[in-house]
Amino acid sequence: MKKVILYIVVGVATFAIGYNVNAVYFSDRSPIQPIAFSHKIHAGDNNIPCMYCHIYADKSTVAGVPNVRKCIGCHKIIKQDAPEIQKLTDYWNRKEPIPWIKVHNLPDYVYFPHKRHVKAGVHCQTCHGDVAKMDVLTRVSSLKMGWCLDCHTNGAVAIIGREVKNGKDCWTCHK
Amino acid sequence: MGKFLDKILERFKIYRIPGYYEKYDHKWTMVIDLDRCNGCEACVVACNAENNVPVVGKEECGNKRTLNWIRIERYVEGEYPNVKVKFIPIMCQHCGKAPCETACPVYATYHNQDGLNVQVYNRCVGTFTCATYCPYDVRRFNWFTYKRDEPLNQQLNPDVTVREMGVMEKCTFCIQRIRAAKDRAKDENRSIRDGEVQPACVQSCPTGAMTFGDMNDPDSKVFKLAKSQRKYKLLEELNADPSVIYLKRVMKDGSSATHEE
Repeated sequence: MKKVILYIVVGVATFAIGYNVNAVYFSDRSPIQPIAFSHKIHAGDNNIPCMYCHIYADKSTVAGVPNVRKCIGCHKIIKQDAPEIQKLTDYWNRKEPIPWIKVHNLPDYVYFPHKRHVKAGVHCQTCHGDVAKMDVLTRVSSLKMGWCLDCHTNGAVAIIGREVKNGKDCWTCHK
Repeated sequence: MGKFLDKILERFKIYRIPGYYEKYDHKWTMVIDLDRCNGCEACVVACNAENNVPVVGKEECGNKRTLNWIRIERYVEGEYPNVKVKFIPIMCQHCGKAPCETACPVYATYHNQDGLNVQVYNRCVGTFTCATYCPYDVRRFNWFTYKRDEPLNQQLNPDVTVREMGVMEKCTFCIQRIRAAKDRAKDENRSIRDGEVQPACVQSCPTGAMTFGDMNDPDSKVFKLAKSQRKYKLLEELNADPSVIYLKRVMKDGSSATHEE
């Protein structure tokens, strides 16, 4: 009997440790980026609006990752000695784009226009979480179809004050 | 158990009330003037390029595994000096009372708000039932996952999914273009203008034989063309109520020539 309990305890403990290690180190929710960019410093402490860097959020299907020129525009002057900024300068000198790892990655068969959502009055934080407090960007929402449908069926009234038109139609989002 | 069956029946009924599409905003319709069609197959090429339709090759075509969303049927009549050739482009007719919709066991094909008969690739399990039910033989099945060689994968349209093995596919009336037009119209706070949406086949037609528009809009070109005396629909006796309207070809001697005669 004692042995059985021991096995169970060891099993549960192993599972818990493994699960956490997996969630922290091997999950795609917060990948390790080529440059340790902190949204907390930029959007939180310095109050830079989201749309200053992600300029296409209200104009296109994708929100857009800023080009290196935009980063360098400020960091020519600001905090040039920091090791992470040195990496940025290296990319700039080599004329290479920074290979950011996409955190909010949707499958190929999904049509998600940022434009439509931003113009409808959905805040960035509704889906992306409180980015201004994240040192390492983490994906807070599951981005699964059920999660999308939560709003598209009846949850939208609380967010944008009206129901989504044709929200249930498959071809609204699939392509 | 009874309740469960009732629920299924209820859902079944929602999609299958005849004429239920009339309450929708748009009723996309295509008018094809056969008098103008000269069978150049530019529409076929345009469709393949726009919708990521793979080129399957000679061998697979021989095995009846063709993958064209639109095809040109040819009918040749008579002996040499008096030859009559008729062409008729056939794509998915987007039937109002579509036989394929009643067939699908997983609701992968259904009618949407715009009077379009659409196929959801993610739901499709490839039972082939819809293709068997389709009287126009326009549904195509992906027998294999077709790979594009290195430079050719660059020409894939990002607005259209690349389908994989085991999925049924068919003409969508270029729904991605309709969606883009709707997006534009919404930004400018207006309704879609007549002629703003053009599927790839309509756009590429050199003789202007095809016209695309909204049947619900009485000012549209399509609405006026559909009043023509020459109009007919394919296999009308089946009562599938297609959205594609053909205009008969009138020959020199005054006889009309449709492929049905």
